[in-house]
Amino acid sequence: MSETKINIGPIHPSTHGVLRLVVTVDGDTIKEVEPHIGFLHRGVEKLAESRMYMQNIVYMEKLDYAAPMAHQELYVSTVEKLLGIEVKERAEYVRVVLLELQRIASHLLWLGTMCNDIGQMFSMFMWTMRDRDMILRLLQEATGQRMFYVNMRLGGVNRDLPAGFEDDTYKVLDSIEHSLGEYKDFLESNPVFMERLKNVGVLSRENAIRLGVTGPVLRGSGIDYDVRRNSSYYKYTKLGFRPAVETGGDSFARYKVRMKEMQESISLVRKALEEMPKGDALGLPIKLIGAVPKEKEAIVKRELPRGEGMMYMVADKQRPYRLAIRAPAFINLAALDHISRGQRLADLFAILGSLDLVMADVDK
Amino acid sequence: MLTNELAYSKAVAYIMSLLSWDKLNFIYNFVLANIVYGVIVIIGVMLFVVIFGWVERKVMAKAQFRHGPTKVGPYGFFQNIADALKLLSKENFIPESADKYLFVSSIVFILAILLFSMLIVPFSGGIYAVDLSVALLAIFVLLSVLPILIFVAGWSSGNKFGSISAQRSIIMMVSYEMPMLMVIAAVALAAHSFSFFSIVGAQSNMYFAVLMPIGFVVFFIAMLAELERPPFDIREADSELISGWLTDVGAPFYASVLIVDYARMLLGSLLIVLLFFGGWQGPFLPKVAWLLIKVFIVAIFIIVLRATYVRMRLDRLLRFGWLWLLPLSIINLIWVYFFMVWGVIL
Amino acid sequence: MPKIEYANLDAEIEKLHSEGFTYLTKITAVDYVDHVEVLYFLRDIEKNKEIVVRSDLAPNYLRLKSIMHLYPAADWYERELSEMFGIDFIGRKTKRLLLEKWDGKGNPLRKSFTWGSKYEVQE
Repeated sequence: MSETKINIGPIHPSTHGVLRLVVTVDGDTIKEVEPHIGFLHRGVEKLAESRMYMQNIVYMEKLDYAAPMAHQELYVSTVEKLLGIEVKERAEYVRVVLLELQRIASHLLWLGTMCNDIGQMFSMFMWTMRDRDMILRLLQEATGQRMFYVNMRLGGVNRDLPAGFEDDTYKVLDSIEHSLGEYKDFLESNPVFMERLKNVGVLSRENAIRLGVTGPVLRGSGIDYDVRRNSSYYKYTKLGFRPAVETGGDSFARYKVRMKEMQESISLVRKALEEMPKGDALGLPIKLIGAVPKEKEAIVKRELPRGEGMMYMVADKQRPYRLAIRAPAFINLAALDHISRGQRLADLFAILGSLDLVMADVDK
Repeated sequence: MLTNELAYSKAVAYIMSLLSWDKLNFIYNFVLANIVYGVIVIIGVMLFVVIFGWVERKVMAKAQFRHGPTKVGPYGFFQNIADALKLLSKENFIPESADKYLFVSSIVFILAILLFSMLIVPFSGGIYAVDLSVALLAIFVLLSVLPILIFVAGWSSGNKFGSISAQRSIIMMVSYEMPMLMVIAAVALAAHSFSFFSIVGAQSNMYFAVLMPIGFVVFFIAMLAELERPPFDIREADSELISGWLTDVGAPFYASVLIVDYARMLLGSLLIVLLFFGGWQGPFLPKVAWLLIKVFIVAIFIIVLRATYVRMRLDRLLRFGWLWLLPLSIINLIWVYFFMVWGVIL
Repeated sequence: MPKIEYANLDAEIEKLHSEGFTYLTKITAVDYVDHVEVLYFLRDIEKNKEIVVRSDLAPNYLRLKSIMHLYPAADWYERELSEMFGIDFIGRKTKRLLLEKWDGKGNPLRKSFTWGSKYEVQE
């Protein structure tokens, strides 16, 4: 058989946005995948250089529209480190609660879209979107916005958790824990689902390090690295956080890592709500006039839902001189070529689904 | 000369006898009756398409915690008609790279063959067009043509996704037709006939689904593949191949393909019911009602599968077909043979 | 970690790679107008250690040796840098730009970059 080039995207049902893949296939076997990105490039890094510190939050949120809370928190903590501002103790707990809720919401969205990618007729998507919506409602209760929160402030949050938030959260978490168990039974008792994911897109331990993949993809390859534990921030170690690690390295291992992470996040939120001290969680107002950077530069790492996010910021007087963003989806997509070589064309979408891409994050 | 004259007069007499009033009347009646029946069947199929399209949407919606169509007609019943009208009002776009005549004719032929095969299937003891003694084989032959026509449609559309889908179509056919043929052989063996009437009649004591459960499962799975239903919607795979062979099909043709989709579903459910669930047999209710009830139950089961299963991979289907379905269908054939020989003892 | 001399950069990275810093987190650069600083974020994932390798480039001589043979992860970062900063990476097979939609004039993350007339608001 001769080799054929197939163009997939930028408009295609399962490329999660505007991703173009030029796939070279030999029969049904993939020889090479060449991702073409940049259709959603907005130049966030350049934009950030021309705006004041706290004006940039809105841009950072749109980096990852499936998990805006995590990105804005990463940005705000970078600015905090630059300006030398301490986070209040209650605010740390509040941030853990919000971040972990956002992680569950993001992973639920991933579960639905991945099942879509491997050919389910939107059932799982609808079910997980329903659960995700409950969390979005919680976040709306806490922050006032449903999707883009702009909630983090220097040293704290915009507003404290409202009264009655705890009870609502417990209820929602119970419901989600129950439905997660159901999804797990439903999917893992389905032989077709298992054979679509098992031994598909295997990424070995060595290659995972060489290719620099992050987050659930890295942990799915058996590497026990989670920023929440390895560079402990906030109260994660105190709350007894344990990273989820699987050794399979295939799409199924990535699936299991994310399922475990959702469970872990649920228990983290519960524990954080229990142990949350009374006090003040409010941060500085957003109009930050006359801020003096104490450091010349700041490097902050955070475990975002899609993997490790890092921001490197060089200080100017009122605005960042340079902001470099390490986007987790960017480097996971870069590994796609390696992972999918030798697989079937139909598996490309299972792999793409298991990488959990958000194109806004890739293109910046 | 004389012999010639004799031969001539004999031929004239023969032709006259052919055109005799009785024969003419018979042919006239036969043809007219079949045309009328054909029109009725087509209307019935369209009715089924409308009803079933609605049922499918509603069942899928219920499975996914949605409402489904609610606006057009009571409980959104006429939504599919509205959709079909919308599709028919659009421009019929045929891509420049397509082989125009092949592309158009293949889709028309798919619809025609499906409607034609509807004529062979009886709907009850009294509602049928012809009672072919080889009806089952004829249906099988007609169904085997479909993947080839789909191949032609996909290939001639000039789209890479379409041509991948076309190749998949042939590979799929290779994997599921053999087991299906084996099960049909077993059914014919059990009923001593290829005629649907004999097959239904042979099930008056025991449904064939009970007699040959393995055969039923194999036939059901092969039928799902034939119907392009999940988990075997491999050639239409919307998340991989956009829509496979339908990627470049323009709106009016797409409407006809939707009709094909549901007509095929009706045909598949009908075959399953006729071969394995005793056809129109049942107490109290009229025979057609029994048949339709059974067809709906089978069809709703297929929809529930659609709502829950993920898509199988092509090479896995091939392996599944040859390593599981084919041996099982042969075991089923042997089992039926021994049952027929020593059936009394068992 | 103090800044590495430009001449010693490759040797230093190779040394660190052999010492166990096998995970590349990011490569980025900052344009300080009089020089361009390039940063390699390396990590030893087993021992949980991190290191930032920095070096200064002269703005009129932006050339670096590609480290793709050590870190395949560097592929897209290098492409991003050559698009955004105009840094030329030596020893790469593919030189295709990353985002591609760019017409190739100017390097957006350099401080000297201005939006060309094409992008000005018409009044």
